[in-house]
Amino acid sequence: MASSSPILRQLGCFRSLLKPQPQPQPLLQSPLNRRALSTVYSTRPTPKPLPENLPEQFIKQLPLHLRPKDPKVRRPIPPPPPSPCTKCKDPVAAVEEAQLAVLDPTGERRALFDYRRSPRSVKPGDIVRVTFKNGDPFNGVCLSIRLRGLDTSFLLRNHLTRVGVEMAIKVYSPNVESVEIVQRAQKRKRRARLFYMRDPKHDMGTVENIVTNYIRQKRALSGKKRAPVKGRK
Amino acid sequence: MIQLKTMLNCIDNSGAAVVECVNVLKKKRPATVGDRIVVVVQKQRNFGPDSSNNVGIANKVRRGDIRHAVVVRAKKEMQRPDGSLVKFDDNACVLVNKSGDPIGTRMNGVVATELRGRQWSKILSLAPMHV
Repeated sequence: MASSSPILRQLGCFRSLLKPQPQPQPLLQSPLNRRALSTVYSTRPTPKPLPENLPEQFIKQLPLHLRPKDPKVRRPIPPPPPSPCTKCKDPVAAVEEAQLAVLDPTGERRALFDYRRSPRSVKPGDIVRVTFKNGDPFNGVCLSIRLRGLDTSFLLRNHLTRVGVEMAIKVYSPNVESVEIVQRAQKRKRRARLFYMRDPKHDMGTVENIVTNYIRQKRALSGKKRAPVKGRK
Repeated sequence: MIQLKTMLNCIDNSGAAVVECVNVLKKKRPATVGDRIVVVVQKQRNFGPDSSNNVGIANKVRRGDIRHAVVVRAKKEMQRPDGSLVKFDDNACVLVNKSGDPIGTRMNGVVATELRGRQWSKILSLAPMHV
């Protein structure tokens, strides 16, 4: 029996194949097989019109959505509140402008770094000296200028004690006391961002000697002006 | 971004030249300037003529020593309170003992000013220059 039963099972399979397939029946004939009685499809009932000349008190008893609509009665729609967009078209720009007016009232800094507009601005490749409010200076080659409105910054690179140091300084930072151009780039750089100058092949090395020369010259020039002041004392 | 296996330059005269970070202390993130780390001395500095004069300084640490160190320069840029960024071209550290005093007596190389805010003023005063 144990050996014959799988054969029999297979035969049963064949039998099921040989059985006449149940004919597909139209849905409506056997709703019980397919759906519960409650879900038998029925068309949406058309709303019956309210009887004419219904007394007022009956209408009042009806829920709101069933009452006949009176075209005369309309709920007053209040006007929309004035949009803030109309008052201030670009609030971010307005804030930025207000901040710039505080941080850079003369517009000098802006002219010094807006290299697209002002020709005498700092350009990539220039040697720049920045003095901070706390007194320490930072000199370096300007690698890039990032024009972003209030967040405008510039990247300086220098070598201090034979270690490369980079500093990205915000142009409008109140910590920045002064920005001077020590030396212009000899030739106009063909790139806006001179990150290739980080590679040893293109690295300028330290710019300290150029800056000290510049400071000495500046002192010599301004020393003449200072001399009479000292004389008075 | 100094973490396990990072090689750092040691910029003091303790005798170590290159050290490897094995742990960052008091932090679950990579260390930056002012953080204390544990290092293994990988390369010793040979002082040459100096070593004959003052052997004591040259032999303060040996290759394979495990020491504490303070990161003084990091390649990863760090932000100052006014939004400016500072970054260096290398990672460097100074060896300190368990109580936080530097092992070396001199330092060569620029360090970041952020050390002041982290009670490492002693290292800052040893440094020839800070940015």
